[in-house]
Amino acid sequence: MRLTTKLAVIASAGMLGLGLTACGAGDTESKSGKTRIGVTVYDMSSFITAGKEGMDAYAKANNIELLWNSANGDVSTQANQVDSLINQGVDAIIIVPIQADSLGPQVQTAKSKGIPLVAVNAALNNKDVAGNVQPDDVAAGAQEMQMMADRLGGKGNIVILQGPLGQSGEIDRTKGIEQVLAKYPDIKVLAKDTANWKRDEAVNKVKNWISGFGPQIDAVVSENDDMGLGALQALKESGRTGVPIVGIDGIEDGLNAVKSGEFIGTSLQNGTVELSAGLAVTNALVKKEKVNTEPVYIMPAITKDNVDVAYQHVVSDRQKFLDGLSELTAQNLKTGDIAYEGIPGQKQQ
Amino acid sequence: MTTGLSTDDTPPEIDKAFVPSPTTGEPVRLLSGGWFAGVALRYSMVIVMLLVIMYFSYRSARFSTPENLLTILVAAAPFALIALGQTLVVLTGGIDLSVGSVIAVSAMASAATAKANPGQVWMTVLVAMVVGLAVGSVNGILVSRINVPPFIATLGTLTAGSGLAYVIGGGAPINGLPAEFGSIANTKIMGLQIPVLVMIIGIVVLAVVMKRTTYGMRVYAVGGNRSAAEIAGINAKNVLFSVYAFSGLLAGISGVMLASRVISGPPNLGQGYELDAIAAVVIGGASLMGGRGTVWGTVLGLFMIQTLNNGLDILVVPAYWQDVIKGVLIVAAVAVDVWSTRRRT
Repeated sequence: MRLTTKLAVIASAGMLGLGLTACGAGDTESKSGKTRIGVTVYDMSSFITAGKEGMDAYAKANNIELLWNSANGDVSTQANQVDSLINQGVDAIIIVPIQADSLGPQVQTAKSKGIPLVAVNAALNNKDVAGNVQPDDVAAGAQEMQMMADRLGGKGNIVILQGPLGQSGEIDRTKGIEQVLAKYPDIKVLAKDTANWKRDEAVNKVKNWISGFGPQIDAVVSENDDMGLGALQALKESGRTGVPIVGIDGIEDGLNAVKSGEFIGTSLQNGTVELSAGLAVTNALVKKEKVNTEPVYIMPAITKDNVDVAYQHVVSDRQKFLDGLSELTAQNLKTGDIAYEGIPGQKQQ
Repeated sequence: MTTGLSTDDTPPEIDKAFVPSPTTGEPVRLLSGGWFAGVALRYSMVIVMLLVIMYFSYRSARFSTPENLLTILVAAAPFALIALGQTLVVLTGGIDLSVGSVIAVSAMASAATAKANPGQVWMTVLVAMVVGLAVGSVNGILVSRINVPPFIATLGTLTAGSGLAYVIGGGAPINGLPAEFGSIANTKIMGLQIPVLVMIIGIVVLAVVMKRTTYGMRVYAVGGNRSAAEIAGINAKNVLFSVYAFSGLLAGISGVMLASRVISGPPNLGQGYELDAIAAVVIGGASLMGGRGTVWGTVLGLFMIQTLNNGLDILVVPAYWQDVIKGVLIVAAVAVDVWSTRRRT
């Protein structure tokens, strides 16, 4: 499995034509004067793939060499990768962890050797990490539920699609949804269950719910775009139109659904911006610059009004966005609002 | 089960009130306790299925409606294809663990094709079929020519295939596909979506092939006793190759249907589906040792799982409880089946 992941990493790097090599263990030679930062991610998901482009762009502009590893969802693989990076004497390590309660010994070793270790996008339950760059998933859940409550006028029957039960993203987004729901006693949750972030699972789940509840379903609240798109397909198959759907993440197909009005909105978690900020914080730690080591990524709300800009950043005008990313990230680090990317409605603090 | 019959002078066949027990074949009085026990064991799966349907119908008025039947059929279609392929493989005494990955690879390959050639939908189907057949053939060669145990061979292609699916997408799902790609799974002919029609045709054709043709006979023969089959002049290697290639082909078609339905190419599509396919075959009464099982049994097992998925969702049973219920039912179903088979022989 590790071999195939590496192949995938190499292939993706090759396809994207980005200059940096995608090698893991074995690459011990330091290029002259470059800061060497090791990276290990839970898997090459679409989010991470987009994030890698952002990190590569930032690295290129800031004389950083990245050593990429993907753990393919395996905790012990990730531990081995961190060990190997420590042995290679990298200047810092960025981890997108698989599990919050993992990597204890590795964090300890890194600390004792003075290698700053930064957790990005998912938390590590360890007080010895040097930095933490995390999205606010509770806020994202609250944001989507608020959008839907406003749309429904505070009254109606909804169904909720959750992420894999027990995963931190699911727990936090559900928490946010429930916080808002508590304020709306007239919104009734008909059903709430997981479709494991997957479109094909969501389509069957929602179709079964449509069978069970029929016209009672007034709206679908989905904890990510993929499941929301599955719900959209299920509603289409059942001949129901105009049922509002809201998602999170802002993937290409989700943004398209916002454009067409099939989604009332989504929240943009731009991996490119978020992971680039993670790298910037790590780089600052290496350089011993003063930096907020725990900035929070607040996902901007995307609706029909501002979706075009988001679409340019994520899909259509991507190269231009990547070209300006290093400067944007540097500026965001100063203001502390690491999610800022100039989408209408976003205020730079 | 020796009753007073052996001391009776009248042969049991002559008495019309006696029929062969559905389970043991011994004569029992029609509608007697023994007869009911025999029927219950022989058709245990059908009875459980009927009970499940009755329960859901009782709990929800919306369960037994034509619309919901169609919902179940649409959800079942991609699983039906891989379960049919799996049936043939299991009949030869093998197992095909790779189908989940074949679904992923063929879905990604067809999605990539759709993205590069919007408007040429037939090509995406063709690519998926070729990819499925290719992976299936690799399994077939490994098992039939190189004698790699099926479990190991298909475990290898399962692993390699899941990696390959990511390679095709450059590590990410393929998004932004043309809407035409959705027409494969979402076009209706005579009120039924294409995947449902493909499923029905597949079931009927395969049921006939397995029951009425020499090919079907050869598959059973190789699974029942390979040496005996070879002595009887059957080319066991060719038969083995064919079932794996066929299973791959069906998984390929399943992959493009799944991807087309949601108009996207996720590299983790089909993950774990092989287990549902194997469960359907086993619930259907097939023996993993080979030689025993039927297409209709698999169909029954498949719809048992799909009906549970649907009904439990309608009753809003949480996903984790659904897993518990399904797992228990699978084991219970097979246990009863094994027990009744032992009584029969």
